[in-house]
Amino acid sequence: MRRLLLSLALLSTLLAGCGAPPPSGRIVYGLTLAPSGIDPHVNASSELGIPLTSVYDTLIYQDPATGEFVPGLAERWNVSADGLVYTFYLRQDVTFHDGTPFNAEAVHFNLARITSPDLASQKARFMLGPYERTEVVDDYTIRIHLNEPFAPLLEALSQVYLGMASPAAVEKWGDEYQLHQVGSGPFEFAEYVPGDHLLLRRNPDYNWGPSVYQHETAQVDEIEFRFFTDPATRSPALETGEADVMGEIPPQDVARLGASSDFRVEPAPIPGASLMFFMNTTRPPLDDIRVRQALLYGTDRQAIVSTVFRDTSPVAYGPLAAVTWGYDQAVQDYYPYDPAQARALLAEASWSDSDGDGALDRNGEPLALDLYLMGWGSMPEVGQLLAAQWAELGIGVNSQVVSYPEALAAADEGKHHLIPFNLSGSDPDILRKFFHSQAGFNWAKSSDADLDSWLEAAAQTSDRAERAALYSQVQRQVMDQALVVPIRDYVNLNGVNNKVQGLHFDAQGWFPWLIDATVETE
Amino acid sequence: MIKYIGRRLTQSAFVLWLAATLAFIALQLTPGDPAQALLAASGATPEQIAARRAQLGLDDPIMAQYAHYLLALAQGNLGQSWLHGRSVGQMILEQLPPTVELALAATMVGIILGLMLGILAALRRSTWLDTAATAIAVLGLSTPTYWSGILAILLFSLRLGWLPATGEGGLRHLVLPALVLGVALSGSIARLTRARLVQVMEEQFVLAARARGLSSCRVLIVHVLRLALPPTLTVVALQLGFLLSGAVVTESVFSRRGLGKLAVEAIVWRDLPVIRGVVLFGAVAYVLVNLTVDVIQIWLDPRLQDGLS
Repeated sequence: MRRLLLSLALLSTLLAGCGAPPPSGRIVYGLTLAPSGIDPHVNASSELGIPLTSVYDTLIYQDPATGEFVPGLAERWNVSADGLVYTFYLRQDVTFHDGTPFNAEAVHFNLARITSPDLASQKARFMLGPYERTEVVDDYTIRIHLNEPFAPLLEALSQVYLGMASPAAVEKWGDEYQLHQVGSGPFEFAEYVPGDHLLLRRNPDYNWGPSVYQHETAQVDEIEFRFFTDPATRSPALETGEADVMGEIPPQDVARLGASSDFRVEPAPIPGASLMFFMNTTRPPLDDIRVRQALLYGTDRQAIVSTVFRDTSPVAYGPLAAVTWGYDQAVQDYYPYDPAQARALLAEASWSDSDGDGALDRNGEPLALDLYLMGWGSMPEVGQLLAAQWAELGIGVNSQVVSYPEALAAADEGKHHLIPFNLSGSDPDILRKFFHSQAGFNWAKSSDADLDSWLEAAAQTSDRAERAALYSQVQRQVMDQALVVPIRDYVNLNGVNNKVQGLHFDAQGWFPWLIDATVETE
Repeated sequence: MIKYIGRRLTQSAFVLWLAATLAFIALQLTPGDPAQALLAASGATPEQIAARRAQLGLDDPIMAQYAHYLLALAQGNLGQSWLHGRSVGQMILEQLPPTVELALAATMVGIILGLMLGILAALRRSTWLDTAATAIAVLGLSTPTYWSGILAILLFSLRLGWLPATGEGGLRHLVLPALVLGVALSGSIARLTRARLVQVMEEQFVLAARARGLSSCRVLIVHVLRLALPPTLTVVALQLGFLLSGAVVTESVFSRRGLGKLAVEAIVWRDLPVIRGVVLFGAVAYVLVNLTVDVIQIWLDPRLQDGLS
């Protein structure tokens, strides 16, 4: 009888544990996303990856500490000697949240979906580079065939954009799949009201996580993601308790939050291309390298980082953020702030103040630059400081803030003298998007055969040391040629309520591994 | 009256066609290539971007695009979002409840506050009360909601802890955004009400009514307001029509959903089907609200009906 009572008590405890999750085991996570599309195979935003990295598993994972790839849904893999065929041997114990088994057919289905023109993928398709096809070898072996070697493929496969979705769910929901996503990750996609909230619920069966996860299953019952598009409201939402974690806290709020005993700011450095201003090397007077170098010497980056970013991000010296592998420290020795040197270079290029009005001119023409800016990422504020700093050298700046599509059009046509951009990504192949002569973002308008060949060779070489050497050459060449004015490396300032612990991020810096997050229950 | 409404509805069809066409033309004239905006940062090759452009129909002759668009519209099909890959109609419907909720609540606040201030100012004309009420109206009119919104959050949510700062769900979440937006609306309502009241109170029949010994309160409510309200209603209708197509600043400050945010996102990404859809929906909202208000006005002041025939 006693034993029966005891087992009844045990059973009821168990049942209680399986019932409605206690509200204390829940985290509210603030995102900056507008009511945007959030299907990782279709859409491109960084914000979508913040929640969905916990919903989808990927074939492999990248260890942020070492940059090495570790097994995920694939237990192991190998690459053919010619770099054209990747073979993945899959785990056999994985099920999607809807009960669909994970296998080679599922991988095939996902890659076919991503590469289908009908899906009109905005990012995932292009991360696959020269993808040709997949081949199902057996139930748990799959091959990816490429048209040419493509070293960044592994990095791509480690990101949520190439995460594995349940084929059954994708077929069931069609165009509305993004409201009903099904993966195999540590959290299930429970509810999504576009623009209002996205709810994830703990997947109790999860035990196939990669070695970069510290726990076998998630430590909280629910995570609700809410959207805070207005930067000014982010810190107040954290302070009123409406959110427990908040991404992209404005730099001016960091000191206030840091001073509080209830909150902390966890900066997550983001690898990739630093915020930099591309100098149009085909448009006079920036076709003269001395003028470009003068702008670099005449820029007090530290002052900009202190004023606009309140010293929350590192000063950038080259095109690549310092936390990206392949970063070459040599760029730090280029172009220290030296207004005298800047003036000397301008004088050498025959720019002088002939009429004594404080502005430089040559043959009666004033030295004036067209600066295009976009409204986000503090670009207008940075542009304003640059204009002020260059005005001291006698250079006039006409700034205009334009929308992203307008900026793309203006830069394509070469209407700019200077235009800024930054982009995140953990593989230095990101440099190819900016400095290859055929690149969409070749906003410096350079056509440098050396840069092209180094960038192409690096994308096709699998040996990381060889790649790093090539990227090192690229970075030095970009600075030797003075193609950009680097400003700062991107840092995501996460405001965190102290009751939340265990926040850590993937190699991209953006995507939290929430399986390890814990919350203090009252 | 029925005939009048019928005629107005016919006119409305023309207005909607005009709005649809203007939206189409305006977007043609906006610089920037939607396919490039969607794909540039993803590392798509120029060929891949060109292929997407063709897929979206952007390479078709303009008249063909226009015909295709009108034909789909005639069938009630707003198309698919290029950014989301979902039905535009569905996306607008999703954002409708929070948009309507905020628009109606803010309009209520605006009307109540605006009428109060306007009546007070008119009744106590040229006193300090008039000056104060007018000053409050001007302040409301000229304070941007992104600023008053943040102030309201700092005071009522952070300091006093009375109301939630952000989000949706029930009356408590609606109070702050509705107040902030309503105060902004009340300014023009108050000024218009005051001006119109002052004008009507000088009419002969008011003197006559007072001469017959009616209390000034009764004269105001029964006779004056009835005539003074129609122009105010027109302004309210315009504002409501505007709010129904989204109040993007207020939506952003209070982290609410809404058509305004949907429209802004679509504009940023040149998601043409969504922009056209929201513009068209805004036009429908304007037309319907204005029609309703015109009918109410005739009921309030039957003299207006003479102008109809």
